[in-house]
Amino acid sequence: MIRYTLQRLALAVPTLLGIVILVFLLLHLAPGSPVTALGAESGRRVSARAAEEMRRLYGLDRPLPERFATWLVRVGRLDLGESFVDHRPVATRILEALPYTLLLNGLALLLTLGIAIPLGVAAGGHPEGSLDRVSGVVLFALYSLPSFWAALLLQTLFSVRLRWLPLYGVASDGTPSGWAGLSDRLEHLALPVVCLTYGSLAFFARLVRSGVAEARQHDFVLAARARGASPRRALWAHAFRNALLPLITLLGLMLPGLLSGSVIIERIFAWPGVGRLFFDSILARDYPVVLALSLLGAVATLVLTLTADLAYALADPRVRDGTEPR
Amino acid sequence: MRLLATTLVAIALLAGCRGKERQGAFAAPRKSPAPAATRVGSSPADGGTLYRRLFGEPGSLNAVLQTDVPEQLVLQYLSRNLFDFDDRLALVPGLAERFETSPDGLSFTVHLRPEAVWEDGVPVTPSDAVFTIRKIADPGTSSPLYKSFFEDLVSVEEAGPHAFRARFRRVDAYRAMAFALPLLPARRFQGVAFDRAPDNRAPLSNGPYRLTSWKAQESITLERNLRYWGPRGYFDRIVFRVVPENAVAYRALVQGDLDESWIDAPLKQRAAEDPAFSQCCRVVEFYDLDYNYIALNARLPFFADPRARRAVTMLLDREGIARHLFQGSARVISGPWAPESPAYDSSVEPLPFDPKGAAALLEDLGWRDTNGDGIRDRDGREFDFELLVSAGNTIGRQIDETFAAALARVGVRARVRPLEWASFVERVDSGAFEAASLASSASDPNPDPYPYWDSSQWPPRGLNSGFYRNPEADRLMEQARGERQEDRRIAIYHRLHRIFRDDAPAVFVVNATKKYGLRRRLQGVETSPLGLFGIWPGPLGWWALEAPAGVRP
Amino acid sequence: MTATPESGARGIRRGARLPVTGSVALAVVILLWLAALVSPLFARRAAEIRLEERLAAPSATHPFGTDDLGRDLFARVMVATPISLGIGLAAAAVSLLVGFAVGASAGYFGGAADLLLSRVMEVVLCFPVLFLLLALAAFLPPSPAAVILAIGLTSWPGDARYARAEVLKVKDLDYTRAARAAGASTPRILVRHLLPNVLPPLLVSAAFGVAWAILAEAALSFLGVGLPASTASWGGILAVAPTYIEEAWWMALFPGIALFLTVSAYNLLAEGLRSAVVERGSR
Repeated sequence: MIRYTLQRLALAVPTLLGIVILVFLLLHLAPGSPVTALGAESGRRVSARAAEEMRRLYGLDRPLPERFATWLVRVGRLDLGESFVDHRPVATRILEALPYTLLLNGLALLLTLGIAIPLGVAAGGHPEGSLDRVSGVVLFALYSLPSFWAALLLQTLFSVRLRWLPLYGVASDGTPSGWAGLSDRLEHLALPVVCLTYGSLAFFARLVRSGVAEARQHDFVLAARARGASPRRALWAHAFRNALLPLITLLGLMLPGLLSGSVIIERIFAWPGVGRLFFDSILARDYPVVLALSLLGAVATLVLTLTADLAYALADPRVRDGTEPR
Repeated sequence: MRLLATTLVAIALLAGCRGKERQGAFAAPRKSPAPAATRVGSSPADGGTLYRRLFGEPGSLNAVLQTDVPEQLVLQYLSRNLFDFDDRLALVPGLAERFETSPDGLSFTVHLRPEAVWEDGVPVTPSDAVFTIRKIADPGTSSPLYKSFFEDLVSVEEAGPHAFRARFRRVDAYRAMAFALPLLPARRFQGVAFDRAPDNRAPLSNGPYRLTSWKAQESITLERNLRYWGPRGYFDRIVFRVVPENAVAYRALVQGDLDESWIDAPLKQRAAEDPAFSQCCRVVEFYDLDYNYIALNARLPFFADPRARRAVTMLLDREGIARHLFQGSARVISGPWAPESPAYDSSVEPLPFDPKGAAALLEDLGWRDTNGDGIRDRDGREFDFELLVSAGNTIGRQIDETFAAALARVGVRARVRPLEWASFVERVDSGAFEAASLASSASDPNPDPYPYWDSSQWPPRGLNSGFYRNPEADRLMEQARGERQEDRRIAIYHRLHRIFRDDAPAVFVVNATKKYGLRRRLQGVETSPLGLFGIWPGPLGWWALEAPAGVRP
Repeated sequence: MTATPESGARGIRRGARLPVTGSVALAVVILLWLAALVSPLFARRAAEIRLEERLAAPSATHPFGTDDLGRDLFARVMVATPISLGIGLAAAAVSLLVGFAVGASAGYFGGAADLLLSRVMEVVLCFPVLFLLLALAAFLPPSPAAVILAIGLTSWPGDARYARAEVLKVKDLDYTRAARAAGASTPRILVRHLLPNVLPPLLVSAAFGVAWAILAEAALSFLGVGLPASTASWGGILAVAPTYIEEAWWMALFPGIALFLTVSAYNLLAEGLRSAVVERGSR
């Protein structure tokens, strides 16, 4: 196990480096620079002379390798630099936005698992049954539904026509903190969470369903049932547990999906999270923020995937012995 | 001479009268009217909170470094200018009481109010002014808004306990506008990097309000500055909400989460048909100095000849655009100014919408479809160009697509291409474009066309991105810059207007109204050619009616 | 089970048919392509700008209403069909090609090659897709090629992983070993044995890929970093819709339905293909 762990960790290092290089290169091929992005909202143009000065100020005229080396060293010291837009530490801006995204995605994840697992097990337990068929269709519809379209339609229905839910934002002004303001905050969370959930819900539910349906046919499940275990118990205790391991791996991969969804959803609902920060920073060519966010996002995924792999290896000896292809 | 100048200033101050016709900016500043002095009608509820909209997050609240509108809107409450523009674009005293010009027109002595103080009680002194101006002129500082005013600065120094003097290299008719300038407290920036000073996030105020909270991406809250020397603001609190989407802002307005919001033509139409809107709110609409135009790159073979540019202008149905795309709330312009500007000569008629005439002109110039592909060509070059537009600019895109359709009908191809803002500006500013849909946005009333149309201002030096060149126009523009007499200057501009109309350096489209949705309780909103916010008192003069019990105001 | 050339081989189960939903999906996809074929008939109508008829509600003359410049929305949606479908297909093709090349090589050659290529896959997979997509699409000069490349270059790892897994499953089978023992050259093995068996699963991957690519392109266009306006796809038409959502609901509804229909059809088709592709050797 130790050997496998070390191996796995060693493999993660080049991945990490690859991530950093990729992002850094991308940004510096960009046609716009932070200078021209200023004044984006009002459409104001900055004179060329002022633009040139800013280019010099931000060090954009030093050679690429020098810039990259400097940045690598800073990252090593966990110094993510300062945002070009407001000169505050990048870490501060990210930490400000992170709780909002975590809240949104955390709730979405909870809802996804909470609905997908029971639904998937129930559907997978009776493949081709009525629940399976109906849920199959519905889930596919959800999976194919573009999130930005769904958001627009939901906003129109619930915010504009019915006026049940607020349109945007985290909370209404003057909302008390703590329990008193909870209902208001929940109202604001409702639409964004729904939009973020339904896509991964569809995906996950189908996965659980097929995993359970397949495991159901395995010998040990049949054996369990032959021993007299009830169908439900056989399903949960055995089929699901065996379908679980691959699913754990997939959880690691869900994070990038959720973060991606955040970019669109946070923009539409004016949610001040990491997704919105990323998109705005791309438009503003705020290099330090984009670099830091891409790095953090990828690293978080890497860590999750690593953990999942190790958990998988812990559970399945074949993997750590290398006899099972991974 | 100095005595005469001072006397003139004194007379001007005493004679300041609202009935006077448009004042040039070079006139001595008039006495400023007290804000909210006229409150007639039902009793206003004093205090309370005003909810304003920001369509983006301010980068920093440093008055010198500010680059964009959200920053200006907030800083307006925190940081008084030395002088302000009133609703008729004349300079009025702010932090400064008056200024004097030297006889040679190169030196300006500005006198600060002795009672001006910062929120911590320390007086505003000439050292603050000197520090601020030196910072702006410093090549190491990026101050897009003010830098150009001080490019000709020779020196600035204190000139007494309440005055400072600035000296410039050459005479400029609009030099006085440079002093519509906010100040920074010099002592707060000692020993810190200017870009990273803590004051940039927590500025010290010398205005009627001070910053009490800034929730990134959400809101900025201001409360009364009790040490403010001037008339106090009406509201107890100002809350700026960050709302980037117009449609969302509209709904916030109707629901009462915002008291004001800029709206565009489609939203104005929606407001007209929305009973909920008419109950709670009203639309305020006025013409300002902004206008839309399509820049043409004169280095291209088809745009090099003014006749071709005229032909292309005649292919755009500007009246139709004003009538349908702007629902009538726009007027066609014939030159690079809005009709509200003194430089605009209303006797200069726009070129007519005449597709047949335009086609004939193109034929005469040799642009004919020789290879049968439906596009006119000449000397092997097709009349085919790329028309850039900024991605978020809905109306620009609509104008462009209409234009492209009209051009297609006479055998000219325009490929409309939206670019996201950063790339768009890069291409335009460097002159690396063929045609581009632009909007001219005025932050001050200076109508000087020199930076945009003089042939010495080609990229990368200046803003004449289309490489336009007309020696006679150059001569007139330079003459106007040095002309100190306002009426003579205006006369030169009128001549230039005619030249620009005939030469068509760009396709001048329309000057559209600015529209704002306001909640009915909001009063005292004055409009001006500079908009609602660029003037004094502007938002500082707003007040609100008290709501009847139980009704949301 | 004795080792026969067919044991463990993957292929379309003999006599297998697409489930009902899959057949319906296929029919829809065919219909969409037919619509794409006839769409040039609507080109003129789609380009006709009539400012005085802007934002007109659906009617007999304009079944989907008109857009903000008075153009017939039905014609515009029709004309956008080949664009959305074409970009989707091309992007999925790029993704599949790159993915297959990388994944199959990793799976077949193993060892250091597998290690290296798997790392590359992992690098791209670790990124939130939209982060990468936005960066690419925003930074490359906008054009159909740029969008295709951006989508293709961000979604290939999924295909690569799939290809790698499938190749691994097939590579060590008896008949392959037998072929190698008999001295067959690598390309021959690849083409004659691997490819036919990996192909059907890859078809499934391709169908899913097309659905994803169409969605991705629409998202990019919606966010304003996709195709240029003159060649508007459904996403491009939708991008204008939020501004007019209260007075012109048809601008959001109809292009959105087209998009949804297409993506659903491809997803269902892929799902149907997947159930038709079954491992012969399973118990």
